[in-house]
Amino acid sequence: MSVVDLPLTVFIVDDEPPARNRLKDLLTDCAEQLPLLVVGEAANGVEALDKLSEVQADVVLMDIRMPQMDGIELAQHLNKLHKPPVIVFTTAYDSYAISAFEHRAIDYLLKPVRLGRLFEALSRARAAVPVRSEVLQELTPEPRKYISIHERGKIVLLPIEKILYFRAELKYITVRTAEQEHLIEESLISLEKEFAARFVRIHRNCLVAKEEIEGFEKVAETDSSEAHWNVKLKGLNELLPISRRQQFIVKEFS
Amino acid sequence: MPEMRIINQNITPDTLPNFRNLGVALRIILIVNAAALFAVLPQAFSIQDLVRHMLSGSAYLQPTLLFCLLLLYILNKFISSMIYRRAVPFILVLVASVSWAVGQFTTLLFDPFAESSVFDSLRQMALSMLLTSLVLTYFRLRAQSLSPVLSAARIQALQARIRPHFLFNSINAVLGVVRSNPKQAEAALEDMADLFRMAMADNSELFTLKREVELSRQYLSLEQLRLGDRLNVNWQIQDMPEDALIPPLILQPLLENAVYHGIEPMYEGGEITIKIYRSGKQMHIEVRNPCQTKVKAHTGNKMALLNIRERLALKFDLEAQYNVDAAENYYHVHIQIPYLREESK
Repeated sequence: MSVVDLPLTVFIVDDEPPARNRLKDLLTDCAEQLPLLVVGEAANGVEALDKLSEVQADVVLMDIRMPQMDGIELAQHLNKLHKPPVIVFTTAYDSYAISAFEHRAIDYLLKPVRLGRLFEALSRARAAVPVRSEVLQELTPEPRKYISIHERGKIVLLPIEKILYFRAELKYITVRTAEQEHLIEESLISLEKEFAARFVRIHRNCLVAKEEIEGFEKVAETDSSEAHWNVKLKGLNELLPISRRQQFIVKEFS
Repeated sequence: MPEMRIINQNITPDTLPNFRNLGVALRIILIVNAAALFAVLPQAFSIQDLVRHMLSGSAYLQPTLLFCLLLLYILNKFISSMIYRRAVPFILVLVASVSWAVGQFTTLLFDPFAESSVFDSLRQMALSMLLTSLVLTYFRLRAQSLSPVLSAARIQALQARIRPHFLFNSINAVLGVVRSNPKQAEAALEDMADLFRMAMADNSELFTLKREVELSRQYLSLEQLRLGDRLNVNWQIQDMPEDALIPPLILQPLLENAVYHGIEPMYEGGEITIKIYRSGKQMHIEVRNPCQTKVKAHTGNKMALLNIRERLALKFDLEAQYNVDAAENYYHVHIQIPYLREESK
């Protein structure tokens, strides 16, 4: 059996139960002409990520405005999956998002969803190219609330406020919380841009959480290094060096 | 028919202010006295001279003003029943008569032997009519600036009353239950029809509080359909006077705001508390909802709240109060309006 003959797997994310019902009703109607299978549903982004690490979906129909984690952020995390699903946003009214979608050719459905439009979107889904993460980032002025970490095939969500620092090393970025270290594949520059409100760059390779700065320590010149400052973060014994260029933050934060 | 008027006419009909309103009376007194000050200013040589001029004028001006206000207070109901075009000449004649009478009386009182000059009486009458026109023009312009006159503003006001987000989500929710629970879908559509009828009606009239509460319940049951047990409502209205009159769609938009900002963004939902009671001559309406620390200003929402404020200001002037207590984890709106009933309308 070729890939095309397999039924299209669809996952629904919406915080309103009647809205999910509506999509299920319409998907049943679509199934008469287009082989498809609803593989699950979730009420918000966090729940969706949890379930989607168990089941594989070709298409995720998702609402934009949801509590806890909205659709745009969910899409950003799903994009990091090994085989990212095709995302179709659904929205009742959001002129900003709609014009952004039009502009970037992202598929969306207006609520109330029409059978014809849903069918079109699903028919196109097999050929669709996933939207790039940078494009999704542009859709929202809000930074993500979580960093997603892929560990042993599972997606682990790390709330941003638990992160003490990001440090770039070779190919990966180390994410440090008070308890643990994780590795992610993102760029420090884009992290710096996205989380500028919470993190400050102390070195070419390191961003630290402003709120977590406990103090600074001056290190005298030695044979191997020049005199410089170190940052001490709350609940962490490790000291992080500040580069000469970023020395102004010692004044700013102490 | 109020609905017809909205369709046929873009311009709100001019209305006179409510002369029984304290704010209106204060505005009139202020305008008239400011005009008197302007009139004597060019003649005065010094501060003492200015005060003297004002005082000598006051002997005539203040009684006239107070008598006019008193008559307007008494005749308010009669005047408000007239159409604007007739009411204005009526008021002008009324003021001119009062002005003439006070003129005669003051002459009699202070200077009984003086020859009463016809020119003096005519001058006073003309001046008082001019001042009255000024005051009425002010109230007309004020009413226009506060009410959605232009069609664009009307649409905006309508949008403030029916938020598109609510409209489309509700229709979607009804479609979502129509197959599994047709009865529920029917009830929801009925509620929607009532809500929209109210939102599209002429909202310059007053409705009973009972009606507004009923409408708000219909609104909340629509939201309940979408949000399920995430939405909890605590009505504290056992002391509410059901016959009190309030402008329509005051409570409902507040609840819509509470749902949009307080309940929808919360995963576990929350409780909206509505408290309506009367204390003396004041009606109190309070709405309280939980909210997350970071509430982003939403333009539609700001428009809705602004709309409520403007309508309250237009209707009750200084006698209405609108207070917001926005804390870290809750949002509390407290509205106070005069307690009105059918016969005192």
